[in-house]
Amino acid sequence: MPRPKSQADASAPDAVLRALADPHRRQILRLVQGHEMAAGQIAARFPLTQQAISQHIAVLKQAGLLTERRDGTRHLYTLRPEALDPVRALLAEFWPDALARLKDAVERAHPPQETR
Amino acid sequence: MPPSPPVTATTRIAAPPEVVFPYFTDPALIVTWLGDRADLNAQPGGVFAIDVGASPARGTYLTVEPPTRVAFTWGLPGSETMPAGSTTVEVILTADGDETIVSLTHHGLPDEDQPAHKKGWDTLLSALPAAIKHR
Repeated sequence: MPRPKSQADASAPDAVLRALADPHRRQILRLVQGHEMAAGQIAARFPLTQQAISQHIAVLKQAGLLTERRDGTRHLYTLRPEALDPVRALLAEFWPDALARLKDAVERAHPPQETR
Repeated sequence: MPPSPPVTATTRIAAPPEVVFPYFTDPALIVTWLGDRADLNAQPGGVFAIDVGASPARGTYLTVEPPTRVAFTWGLPGSETMPAGSTTVEVILTADGDETIVSLTHHGLPDEDQPAHKKGWDTLLSALPAAIKHR
């Protein structure tokens, strides 16, 4: 095991979640998962200005969700899969939290009764 | 990279399964613990739709066996690469005396059966909206 990657990323879920909160940015991530795309290629897939796409890309990069590589004058982007880890961790917390609320809701509505 | 296990969660509730089960199938009851609005048709193939603020989770019921088993898919509408519902949430209610043990398993999450990250991202993003809103 080279290094504890997920530990290092665990402090970043807020930036990742803010970046993921926008549907266009989620769509960008789907486009670049597994292969590189230039900013212009990404922009061509959206009814948005290149400038708006550049801003979305900047947010995704800042959150660690994109890897950037330069090829001549082009900037190529691809998904950085490790950024998934803190989000997956969040989901792993989601269901225990939800079931705790379920327990509260049921037990409030149906208080345990004395043995009849 | 070894496959990552499904997300699991359990709780113990001081009520019998007959009381707990409708909290997974009745819109008025499910919103007491999951989401703000629900449109549920609790039969196999029936709609499972929960809104958490502006974040929708969408799927269909796969299994509805009162009062012990319920399973539904869980996804994000509007995804091109993934129709709503490519992850699956399975819930088992087990009576223990007057109480119920609730065991929940969320399958289909990243890397469970694929080395590639592609499916993992789609499915994770699909499962995410409600998780964000409820933190």
